[in-house]
Amino acid sequence: MPRPPGRRDRPDRPDRPEHRGLLRRLGPAFWLAAGWLALVVAVAAAADLLPLPRYDETLAGPPRSGPSAEHPFGTDALGRDLLSRVAHGARVSLGVGVGAVLLGLAAGAPLGVLAGYRRRRTDAVIMGANDVALAFPAMVFALAVVAFAGASLVNVLAVLGVLSVPAWIRLVRGTTLVFAEREFVTAARALGARDRSVLWREIAPNVALPAASYAFVGMAVTIVAEGGLAFLGLSVQAPTPTWGGLINEGRPVMETAPHAVLLPSLVMFLTVLSANLVGDRLRALTDVRQSGLEPVRRRPAVPLPAPGQVHRIEEGALLQVAGLRTHLPTPRGTVRAVDGVSFTVRRGRTLAIVGESGSGKSMLIRSVLGLVPGPGALRGGRVYLDGRDLTGLSPERMRRVLGTRFGAVFQDPMTALNPVRRIGVQLAEPLRVHLGLGAKAARARGTELLASVGVPEPARVMRRYPHQLSGGMRQRVTIAMALSCGPDVLFADEPTTALDVTVQDQVLRLIRRQREERRMAVVLVSHDLAVVAEWADEVVVMYAGKVVERGPTAALFERTRMPYTEALLAAVPKLTDPAHHPLRLIAGRPPDLADPPAGCSFHPRCPYARERCAVEEPPLLPAETPGHLYACWYPRDTGARAPADTGSGTGTDSDGRGLDGPCGPGRPAAAGRPGDLSGPNDLSDLDEGADSRGR
Amino acid sequence: MAGSGTAHLRPAGEVVLRVEDLFVEFPAGRGRSVHAVSGVSFDVARGETLGIVGESGCGKSTTARALMQLPPPRRGSVRLDGVELTALRGEALRATRRRLQMIFQDPVSALNPRRRVRDIVAEGPRIWGTGADRVDEMLAAVGLDPATAAARRPHEFSGGQCQRVSIARALVLDPEVVICDEPVSALDVSVQAQILTLLERLKERYRLTLVFIAHDLAVVRNVSDRILVMYLGKTCELASGDALVERPAHPYTRALLASVPRGGLGLPPADRLISGEPPSPVTPPSGCRFRTRCPEAGPECAAVEPVMRRIGEDHWVACHRPEVR
Amino acid sequence: MTAVFRAVRLLVVLLVVTFLSYALLSLLPGDPVGQILGGAATPEAHERLRRELGLDDPLLVRYGSWLGGLLTGDFGTSYITGVPVLESLADRLPVTLELLAAAQLVALGVAVPAAVAAARRPGGPLDHALTAICFGLLSTPVFVLGVLLILVFAIKLKLLPATGWTPISLDLGWNLTSVLLPAVTIALPETAVYSRLLRTDLIATLQEDHITLARARGLSPRRILWRHALRPSAVSLVTAVGLNLGAMIGGAVIVETLFGLPGVGRFVVDSIFARDYLAVQGGVVLISVGYVLVNFAVDLAYAAVDPRIRRA
Ligand SMILES: Nc1ncnc2c1ncn2[C@@H]1O[C@H](COP(=O)(O)OP(=O)(O)OP(=O)(O)O)[C@@H](O)[C@H]1O
Ligand code: SF4
Ligand code: SF4
Ligand SMILES: [Mg+2]
Repeated sequence: MPRPPGRRDRPDRPDRPEHRGLLRRLGPAFWLAAGWLALVVAVAAAADLLPLPRYDETLAGPPRSGPSAEHPFGTDALGRDLLSRVAHGARVSLGVGVGAVLLGLAAGAPLGVLAGYRRRRTDAVIMGANDVALAFPAMVFALAVVAFAGASLVNVLAVLGVLSVPAWIRLVRGTTLVFAEREFVTAARALGARDRSVLWREIAPNVALPAASYAFVGMAVTIVAEGGLAFLGLSVQAPTPTWGGLINEGRPVMETAPHAVLLPSLVMFLTVLSANLVGDRLRALTDVRQSGLEPVRRRPAVPLPAPGQVHRIEEGALLQVAGLRTHLPTPRGTVRAVDGVSFTVRRGRTLAIVGESGSGKSMLIRSVLGLVPGPGALRGGRVYLDGRDLTGLSPERMRRVLGTRFGAVFQDPMTALNPVRRIGVQLAEPLRVHLGLGAKAARARGTELLASVGVPEPARVMRRYPHQLSGGMRQRVTIAMALSCGPDVLFADEPTTALDVTVQDQVLRLIRRQREERRMAVVLVSHDLAVVAEWADEVVVMYAGKVVERGPTAALFERTRMPYTEALLAAVPKLTDPAHHPLRLIAGRPPDLADPPAGCSFHPRCPYARERCAVEEPPLLPAETPGHLYACWYPRDTGARAPADTGSGTGTDSDGRGLDGPCGPGRPAAAGRPGDLSGPNDLSDLDEGADSRGR
Repeated sequence: MAGSGTAHLRPAGEVVLRVEDLFVEFPAGRGRSVHAVSGVSFDVARGETLGIVGESGCGKSTTARALMQLPPPRRGSVRLDGVELTALRGEALRATRRRLQMIFQDPVSALNPRRRVRDIVAEGPRIWGTGADRVDEMLAAVGLDPATAAARRPHEFSGGQCQRVSIARALVLDPEVVICDEPVSALDVSVQAQILTLLERLKERYRLTLVFIAHDLAVVRNVSDRILVMYLGKTCELASGDALVERPAHPYTRALLASVPRGGLGLPPADRLISGEPPSPVTPPSGCRFRTRCPEAGPECAAVEPVMRRIGEDHWVACHRPEVR
Repeated sequence: MTAVFRAVRLLVVLLVVTFLSYALLSLLPGDPVGQILGGAATPEAHERLRRELGLDDPLLVRYGSWLGGLLTGDFGTSYITGVPVLESLADRLPVTLELLAAAQLVALGVAVPAAVAAARRPGGPLDHALTAICFGLLSTPVFVLGVLLILVFAIKLKLLPATGWTPISLDLGWNLTSVLLPAVTIALPETAVYSRLLRTDLIATLQEDHITLARARGLSPRRILWRHALRPSAVSLVTAVGLNLGAMIGGAVIVETLFGLPGVGRFVVDSIFARDYLAVQGGVVLISVGYVLVNFAVDLAYAAVDPRIRRA
């Protein structure tokens, strides 16, 4: 497959990630634990062959003697060799552990899968039986069977195995339910797969890893339970030694010969710990991607240059961001999520930040607010509010600024409100904390705020929980919260992306009205160019953590200079275009922010790139309209680029010939209309690849 | 919609898929039910793309799944090439599966994380015993390199690439109709353009018939020959893309168009056309389901449910007071 | 699921459990008559006693009459000791309940602050330390833990009694010293479970938008952790506490044995060895009623923790 020369392979996607990833993700603790388990298994299997005294040979050494060369674990009250007894005890512990797990798995897994996949009546019956099993006193069952049927290895194993079945059913059913809801199961059935095949090929592989993980945890539990039975004298009977029995036997001589208790305890502890560790590491593998929950060793980020220079505060700027950088340490390396961004906003104006997913828009907002995630994140650059630098403020003073001068609204109104607190409590909190209002006054203000953002029946809504409101109402509530302490700047990160168009329109209108009534500045983040074109006064276009073009909305949309902005505009379908109108395509995919390309970060995908673009990073250069800046060596100088709403600008470009700019060496067949593509491989050039977050 | 009716259906001989009076309900606890789809009818001619638009929760995805009989609708008819799918059970239904395929919204959830891409695409041929030779061809056709891509697992791919795998899986069995349920909603603008272009290209190459569901009017407009507007489980308006955008007749369609930023269509601002949010499908309004938000609503709208009627050349609307131009 | 439906379901569980245990016990070999009469009695004497005790009746009839008695508050009288079962249980239940309450108090009292502290800096030194300690505690069987605690606190340091029980009614101070070691023995592994669960859920909650927004509103980290993050993260913790409580109503046999406490668990074990069926059945009733009550309590707790669950 021909590849445009500018394209590079993604560094974070090694060809055989499974093997490399597996070793790394399991970690040394896993291998140590697995090694110990293997050792115990080997010793148990070969106990008779090892050059040890017989486990029941009394007076093999002096009674109650501590560890020595002859008896590494010492001897017990009868002078029997403890190492030999521990080794033989391992047979019982491991035998019961492994056997019970296999029994529990064999009985529980099929039932669990059945309950989770069939649901309805099958599920009700199985889970009802499970309820009974859980309510049945386990100890009574175990004691009754063992006390009456005899305490043989098989009986103990059977009892503990049966007792583990309910837990297996729960686990397997839960996992099955999760996956049975996934669309790939629907897809398999849509292909015509039979139920049995769906279960085996689609669901079973996904249940296997959690089950393997639980097998080890279950083994740990069983070994402990067997020890407990042995401790009560209910497991395999003397003279066969068991670990629990050894500990119990050691108890009377605990004062004079503590090793008789401590050493068997230690062996048992290490074995159980190992099984738990192995289970835990296996479970961590189930998240195909490393979740943020596991402590990972991050490589420290390369320190940022000190933001030495003092910036010129622009006249009339309410908020000025200068050279802002946010670098996040990740296992892949330092992600330059925000890389030297500058902009200013004035009171009463809306600044929009646009860019594709992963371009750093959200991180930019969080960075301005001083809310960068995680301990290792580095922030550089300055943020001035009314000419005062916020980056040097103490946490307390920054919180004061956040509370009273900034307001923030995020994308998803479902997650933006605390699900377990009433609207009234959440709304009143900043008023009480920052404005010092009393409970009554805060409630009254809260109700007024709700009314002002167009929430009907505000007094009733104050008593509701978030889940009782619709998406649009929730977003209005979050806006009311953001406005509660009278902010000067409202940050709205994709406030309408999760909403329907008709509701989106209402919310954007609300934001504009509030901006006018309160003389605020608004920073609006969006990936939707049409929204930006309609609602913003000024626009910042981000690509790979950098500003690639910025300026007054009209100038930027009508006289676009930067090829990326231009391509983005032409890639959006427009209502005014006829059906099947070809869309402009952007080849390749956004760069990995842990390893951005040298020079212009757009050059691997840019149809106009030349040598210089791959070497030298273009600075922000002024266009003819004041305030319009672009970062490009070879800008588009089309006199009248059409604005988004007339839609006429794309017709000429779509066949690629309208783009009369210079063609760089790395120009891919990007701008073709579908009809121009002949072979089956053609579209592979248009492969966008993974976004840098690797979703 | 907010209505029902079947006047807009074409003669059975002209269409490959014909859906009549589809009803789907889900239990909502306390003996109530969600009226997700209530009396939806439409048809698709061979080689045509039918777009379905509507806001979230209006029953688009439920309709798609009901067409696939996953699960079968509570009532109504789905005919594929004259074969009544709702009457089939078990093996007989399974046998028709390969002729009707689906592409899902969430590209990640739609692929089994534990299987390799080649196995995912080859699953259909494995089940039916035909088409195994087409797996590589399909992978190439959707823009994936069979040599390197096939042995990888889905998590090694981006959303857009996963969506390509989904498309390959759906097309490898050479289906007659492909139902695309919001195939680009989870994707970025540039990737969306790539997938839309890919779908158009594959449609031409394999002579596919598409049902294309989305909430973005501009996207639907771009790929569809005819567009059906849905609201709260009902049909509102059916027309060619041009007619719908240039002469929207149903108040809801007009509001939808006016809400699109920079629609530039000369409609009055959206907030004069519509307010509030859709009511709950558990207790839908009587008569026209749109009447609680409709600026035109009159007394007859609460009493009588409007049915689809013709107001122009292949232009149908279910409203008592449409704006006919 | 409605409340009524749940109640009926739990009642059915109760019936099935008591019946199964009744059947299980009577199917097992060995019989109380032998125990009562001793080895020397004639077969005729055996027969007579069996008839008198109603042991010849079919299983269902015997279960029915036992259940009938139960509904009037009659748990029967032990054939072996001649003490009414209810009386024996009433003697022992307070011990088990006190142990259980003390253990949960210790476990939650340690686990919640530890989890909150660890979640503040995931991957930080405190978090790593807590993870390591939790794994250690999770992997130590209670009898090992109990033996170690006795070795250190009773034998070496002589701070606390190794075994024995002083009821509250006798002396509060001595009661507390006698409950401390067993309660800690039970609590330590539970602390590990609770703090792991809570830590994981807290970290997930702290990454949610509403927390970032709370920070964006200028609220202090302490306020955010305790007032905003804790409650939405508590669902798995509630589940785990419920499971433990349910399991412990039956007594913590091993700990009771180890520390010589006269709790329900020990009573049931001793009764089994003595083939004292009625006493065992009494214990089973207690345990399964406890299970049902805990289930209800957990449902209530869910609703208190998370209003979204209230609708169900
Ligand atoms: N917590 C984090 N740890 C490491 N990297 C992160 C983290 N959050 C974001 N990133 C990375 O930072 C970059 C910018 O992400 P950001 O969320 O700001 O993009 P965005 O433009 O808001 O995207 P979207 O449109 O999807 O919201 C991405 O490469 C992303 O992978
Ligand atoms: S022409 Fe060069 S500098 Fe301009 S966007 Fe393309 S690659 Fe970057
Ligand atoms: S005018 Fe009446 S029938 Fe038409 S959409 Fe409005 S409410 Fe429905
Ligand atoms: Mg974002």
